[in-house]
Amino acid sequence: MKHLPKHLRPRWRYLLVGIEAWPDADVGRRDFQRSVWFAAQNLLGDATSADADLRVLAYEFGDGEGEAVVRARRGYVDEARAALGCVDAVRDDPVGIHVRGVSGTVRAGEERYLGRARENSAEEAVVFRNATAQAVSRDGLVDVSSEGGFVGATRADLE
Amino acid sequence: MYEAVTATPDGESTVRRFAATAARQGFEGIVVRNADAADPALDAAAVREAHDVDAVDATAVVADDPTEASGPLSEARRAHTLLCVRGGTPKLNRFAAEEERVDVLTKPMAGRGDVNHVIARAAADHDVRVEFDFGRVLRASGGPRVQALRGLRKLRELVEQYDVPYVVSGSPTSHLELRAPRELRALGEAVGFDAAQVETGLAEWGVLAERNRHRRSADFIAPGLERGRHEQER
Repeated sequence: MKHLPKHLRPRWRYLLVGIEAWPDADVGRRDFQRSVWFAAQNLLGDATSADADLRVLAYEFGDGEGEAVVRARRGYVDEARAALGCVDAVRDDPVGIHVRGVSGTVRAGEERYLGRARENSAEEAVVFRNATAQAVSRDGLVDVSSEGGFVGATRADLE
Repeated sequence: MYEAVTATPDGESTVRRFAATAARQGFEGIVVRNADAADPALDAAAVREAHDVDAVDATAVVADDPTEASGPLSEARRAHTLLCVRGGTPKLNRFAAEEERVDVLTKPMAGRGDVNHVIARAAADHDVRVEFDFGRVLRASGGPRVQALRGLRKLRELVEQYDVPYVVSGSPTSHLELRAPRELRALGEAVGFDAAQVETGLAEWGVLAERNRHRRSADFIAPGLERGRHEQER
């Protein structure tokens, strides 16, 4: 179909989102998109979530950390923010979501809010609460594996 | 703005990990609900030094009925900056609302919990904050979430009617569950709160912490007896 003349095209806002998860999490783009849609639908209902029209445009995830660009219709940024806040897990992996900023263009937003230089994560053995455990560390933040999963800690919590 | 968190062993992240994430998301501080278990020697200055956010030690009295709850209250009041009582039954809610020593009545609508005009008025009279718990709105779905929303709505109407002081929290138990103030504000607006209400509620934790720290400081010779400006060192 021929695309719309410029003045009739919808106006968008782009939410630049930081994603965090445990180191063993495998959060794919499709699953993330599904979770965003579900969250929007559950919180806002069919009508408003269709209006907000959330879509994941760019996505990158690895080693328990990721970034995404989520598109929302202009005027629905608060609704989009609320819905993104309600994404608490993708499949069975708990995720932390933080909207770093909102921009009128993908490019400006990515330059401003994404692609922060990140240290690579490293696996190591640490002593945490008087016990030795395997851990994944990055930037002074340490995810210590324990029986039930992981415990989020920092370098200063280790012994 | 402050967030009240549950750290390990009851939660899944340490106090410092919460602090690191909270700082990045724009919080001014965190309230550690289970300071006894998580970090008895919580060093707010060291946390501020490392992450530039405040850390407040708090304790939550969890009991099945008022008799059981009233026992540890005095000791908890003495030992901690912030004292919360976990509600959840009408009796417990009423007990906490009528107890001057209590700072915050948490999760008043959870489980079989309910709040009526009597409890709301008592909380306002005794300066007990009631908590709007966004935890289940953020992380539950379907029936439990609808119940949580219904509870929030009822509580909000009573709070507005009787001018009850309140706090707002997303009740995170790990740093992944922490949501930034702007997200909580947007969520609040989506479920019927004012943006200003959510902000006031998040800031109230900090107001409480500051007030209680002042009360516990050396300026107070005895409860209610403060060293005034007029008294000169001799």
